[in-house]
Amino acid sequence: MIIKVAWRNVWRHKTRSAVIVFSVMFGIWAGIFMQSFMNGMVEQRVRTSIQTEVSHLQIHNPGFSKDHDANYFIPDGPAFVKTISGFPQVQSVCGRVIAKGMIATSSGSAGIKINGIEPAAERSTTQLDKSLIEGNYLSTEGKNEIFIGEKLLKKLKLKLKSKVVLTVMDKDNNIASGAFRIRGIFRTQNTPYDEANVFVYGKDLSELLGTPGEIHEIAVLLKSNAALDSTCQKLQSGWPSVKTETWKEIAPEIDLTVSVANQSFYIFMGIIMLALAFGIVNTMLMAILERTREIGMLMALGMNKAKVFYMIFLETLFLVFCGTPFGIILSLITTYYFGKYGIDMSGYKEVYSSFGYSEMIYPTINLRDYRIILELVVATTIFSSLFPARRALKLNPSEAIRK
Amino acid sequence: MDTVIDTHNVFKIYNEKSIPVYAVNGVHLHIERGEFTALVGPSGSGKTTLLNMIGGLDKPTGGYVEINGQNITKMNSNELINFRMRNIGFVFQSYNLIPVLTASENIEFIMLLQKVNKKDRKKRVLELLKEIGIPDKGNIRPSELSGGQQQRVVVARALASKPAFILADEPTANLDSVSASNLLDIMEKLNTEEKMTFLFSTHDQRVIDRAHRVITLQDGKVTSDVPGKEGIASDRILEHKK
Repeated sequence: MIIKVAWRNVWRHKTRSAVIVFSVMFGIWAGIFMQSFMNGMVEQRVRTSIQTEVSHLQIHNPGFSKDHDANYFIPDGPAFVKTISGFPQVQSVCGRVIAKGMIATSSGSAGIKINGIEPAAERSTTQLDKSLIEGNYLSTEGKNEIFIGEKLLKKLKLKLKSKVVLTVMDKDNNIASGAFRIRGIFRTQNTPYDEANVFVYGKDLSELLGTPGEIHEIAVLLKSNAALDSTCQKLQSGWPSVKTETWKEIAPEIDLTVSVANQSFYIFMGIIMLALAFGIVNTMLMAILERTREIGMLMALGMNKAKVFYMIFLETLFLVFCGTPFGIILSLITTYYFGKYGIDMSGYKEVYSSFGYSEMIYPTINLRDYRIILELVVATTIFSSLFPARRALKLNPSEAIRK
Repeated sequence: MDTVIDTHNVFKIYNEKSIPVYAVNGVHLHIERGEFTALVGPSGSGKTTLLNMIGGLDKPTGGYVEINGQNITKMNSNELINFRMRNIGFVFQSYNLIPVLTASENIEFIMLLQKVNKKDRKKRVLELLKEIGIPDKGNIRPSELSGGQQQRVVVARALASKPAFILADEPTANLDSVSASNLLDIMEKLNTEEKMTFLFSTHDQRVIDRAHRVITLQDGKVTSDVPGKEGIASDRILEHKK
């Protein structure tokens, strides 16, 4: 009966209750949609980062991570690449010769990471060829050619087929330089990456470093991120002399972005629900004030404090939960629509790409977010019912009845 | 006869520390089962305050109240709530029905608080609706009932818990003469047939005329305690029979 009374009390002032119900609905929709937008951005960033930059796993000589010395190559690297490519959970794998060096032209110079690659393996692991915007991707038979990012190209005022000089420290700590001609220009969604990386043939870089046939890095792309930890463990236990790291360790800033996005949902929703809570508290306090005599009468008849609290809690719960499903449904519809067709943020392309984000955002939402919504809704209900309930419980029935 | 209400030198003092106001000033009251008593007096004489203390809605500053031999003044608020629910029926001046419930549900509500089973609740509701003369109005909400009908539902609600007595604070104040008369008929019938004890606080001469005992309060003190017209008539009949 208390449930019935509470439910009917909610609809005593239909307009007032409807305002709260709509507020809850739009609040939840806004929170979920905002999070789905964030999820879309972050997931795309993670996906792009894994598929085109760091891959799922990377293997290095333990010393190489601290000091990019040419001598810290992976023992029997090419053979190790072949072994890993036989793992069932591995989609593709490639070996790289890596050096920190300098690119110089007549118009300037810049510090860069030089990636010596095997073009076909790199293509299947990082889809580097898909980033080509001008010229050609590295071929299998070429020599002293370089694949350079558009951002760096513009910075150094270069153009296709321009000559550049790459300078590195070789294995004996001597300075070694080589002239390379620009074969192709690439552009990824991550401008800072484009500015800091160039690609040359692995054998050319090995020659410069004096480490022919050796590789410094193995990038492993898995069929699924779900196999990340198990594959990493397998490699770590099977080959303890090399260092195997996941993308989370290699690019902690991306993992941090994921964590921040997750935490931001609590913050966004927390703020929205807090704002809603004040509206609900106000509505409930008005309801208590209007029903002072009635509540006094109920207490006089024998309704104890726990039941009065329960009734007010239920009224608040009904108010909040009437709006919640509609908010969730609305958010599902909008997330589905924009998840399919995307949200075009090309107006802010420069800003987005400078942080490595795509200008097309495809919102996505997961079950965890809905669980958080429900937790916050329950917390809001409890919080919102406390003040009105306290007001009601402080009523003296003999005085309340006379009001 | 059983004593239902017993007040022992009850005081209610407001502003005790500054300028004390004696709302109730040393009242001794003794009401037996089956009495039909009116508590009368001018506004501010302490009728409602005394009624509230008897009903356990307010605590005396001094003295104590016994209901059915139990000292309710000693009880804490939870014990009092439980005691009120099981022993006291309230009829208020301004109906005070739950507007979102039907007449039947209003009557049933207190039995739910008492955890009476559904079958017994439904049976009792039907009995009470019949008893108050509106058996066909059970599914109607209070706003669709007349003032008199609403006050009858209030009486039925008060009776639903099978209380030891009913406290009625100005029960006819908002009723026209026909409705007031009908309500008093019902109350009198309950008093006569079921020996239900009634204690009214009232200004209404129609109630005073029907009371068997009239207690007058003035400045918080009992200034007279006499049989009412009905009481006198009953006494005369008894004397005549003797």
